[in-house]
Amino acid sequence: MRHSFIDRFANLDSPLHALDARTKLLGFAALIVAILLIPQGRDFIFFSYFFFIAIFAGISQIPLGFIVRRALTILPFIILATLAAPWRGIAGLSTLFLRAILCLIVVIVLTNTTRFVELLRGLRGLGCPQVLASNLGFLYRYLFVLTEEFMQMRQARDCRRVGRAPFRKELAIMGSMLGTLLVRSFEHAERMYKAMLSRGYAGEFPVANPHRFSWPDLVFLLAITLFVWTTFFGFPLPRI
Amino acid sequence: MHIPDGFLSTRIAVSLDAISGATILYASRRVRFATSDRLIPVMGVLAAFVFASQMLNFPIIGGTSGHLVGGALLGILLGPMAGFLTMATVLIAQALFLQDGGLLALGANIFNIGAVTAFVGHGTYSLLGGGKGNPKRVTFAGFVAAFLSLIASAACCALQLALSGTIPLQIGLPAMVGYHAVIGMIEGGLTAGILSFLLHVRPDLLNSDIKPKLNILDWAGALILVAIPAAILATAGSSGLPDPLQGLLISNAPPPPSAADAQQLLSSGRFTDYAFRLGIFFLFVCIVYIAARLAPGRRHSP
Repeated sequence: MRHSFIDRFANLDSPLHALDARTKLLGFAALIVAILLIPQGRDFIFFSYFFFIAIFAGISQIPLGFIVRRALTILPFIILATLAAPWRGIAGLSTLFLRAILCLIVVIVLTNTTRFVELLRGLRGLGCPQVLASNLGFLYRYLFVLTEEFMQMRQARDCRRVGRAPFRKELAIMGSMLGTLLVRSFEHAERMYKAMLSRGYAGEFPVANPHRFSWPDLVFLLAITLFVWTTFFGFPLPRI
Repeated sequence: MHIPDGFLSTRIAVSLDAISGATILYASRRVRFATSDRLIPVMGVLAAFVFASQMLNFPIIGGTSGHLVGGALLGILLGPMAGFLTMATVLIAQALFLQDGGLLALGANIFNIGAVTAFVGHGTYSLLGGGKGNPKRVTFAGFVAAFLSLIASAACCALQLALSGTIPLQIGLPAMVGYHAVIGMIEGGLTAGILSFLLHVRPDLLNSDIKPKLNILDWAGALILVAIPAAILATAGSSGLPDPLQGLLISNAPPPPSAADAQQLLSSGRFTDYAFRLGIFFLFVCIVYIAARLAPGRRHSP
């Protein structure tokens, strides 16, 4: 079973991977906000963002095919919007499409250059509540356990039957399967709680090495600030 | 149902981010102080459970497939506060790792799929008396709660898209609600199935004491959270800002471009010019990408 679909390329090694998670979160969030604030119809500003993000995508060493495949999942939504509001015209639709796809690429680059644990630490450093952070951590740790248990259950079901039951029966079977998984989840949680207590849990999960903010982080943030500033207000140099 | 970035106007997206963020902060304080630490691993594992069950589509009838959304189930099992937090976790993870829904639209998605489903699910379930322990009651209340939670969530989503001017309400609302009525039957059936299974196997989990109860302060907070955006929308008409409600009520959309317009565009040479500049641009993007790719670092080996 292949389980490495979440932060698949986060274990590569590139200048972008080495940055502090907080820096990346802040910088890429700023890029997304900037992309969403570009007025409609200014397609060439959007293209300059493609330019800028292509640099990051290249540096990050994530395979291009992966990025393109992930980014194209937006297409059904675009088709839906086209059908629902045809009067928006080519300008409106191209803006919608460019915005959506640019934001998507930014998120893909962010999550595939940061390991999940790092990302959580970054979120926590940026003021995300402890409960949410620990939830996300547990989600990541137990997702694969539960997925595997469910797949075993499904295999067992498929071995025991031929064809398909009527709709209500099918729902009932599925309900019991999910219920079994839910009971097992609760049992996992009970064991985890005991383990947490025996290891001295007191409201916080301690982490070993703290954040470090060094000059590559500064360069990264400065580059993004300069670029966004330039696209909105022009290059910040006095006219001679 | 997950709204991508760019589909909501920035004003709507940011205000919903603020609402969801405030609700998350409030709920995590409540969950932290009102209950024992026992709830923390339970929430985490249930988030993994919902995430896993949302990824595993299973065939229903014909070629269609469906999955559990789970907001109502979590609201019933954990109470609305912890249920909402768990759903928010799932949605954040989906936005980050599966690119389901945008990052700035995350607030809207957490509101629609997390808050609305958990609160409507829990509210309906307790109004219908699902907590009494009568098996028929539990199944019925679970079905109705899950069904209504999805309908309400779809209606909120359609409303937000209409206020942003992406999809008009006349088209969006019937389409979204109609589609989610079908999904809601599946969701209701699954939720009812899970609840009746739990009632047979582990009835203690259904009525556990670990879920925080809502008090009058919570209701006041919820009221304020809903009132603020409503007030902003209502007062926007009297200010100089363009009023989204006006655009919603009076359809003053420009006529669709006719075939003659398109022909004119093509023959005027503007289109080929545009396409040419686009081509040059993408050529440059490719060159920049390849150049950046040559930067130091370990390559991905499949």
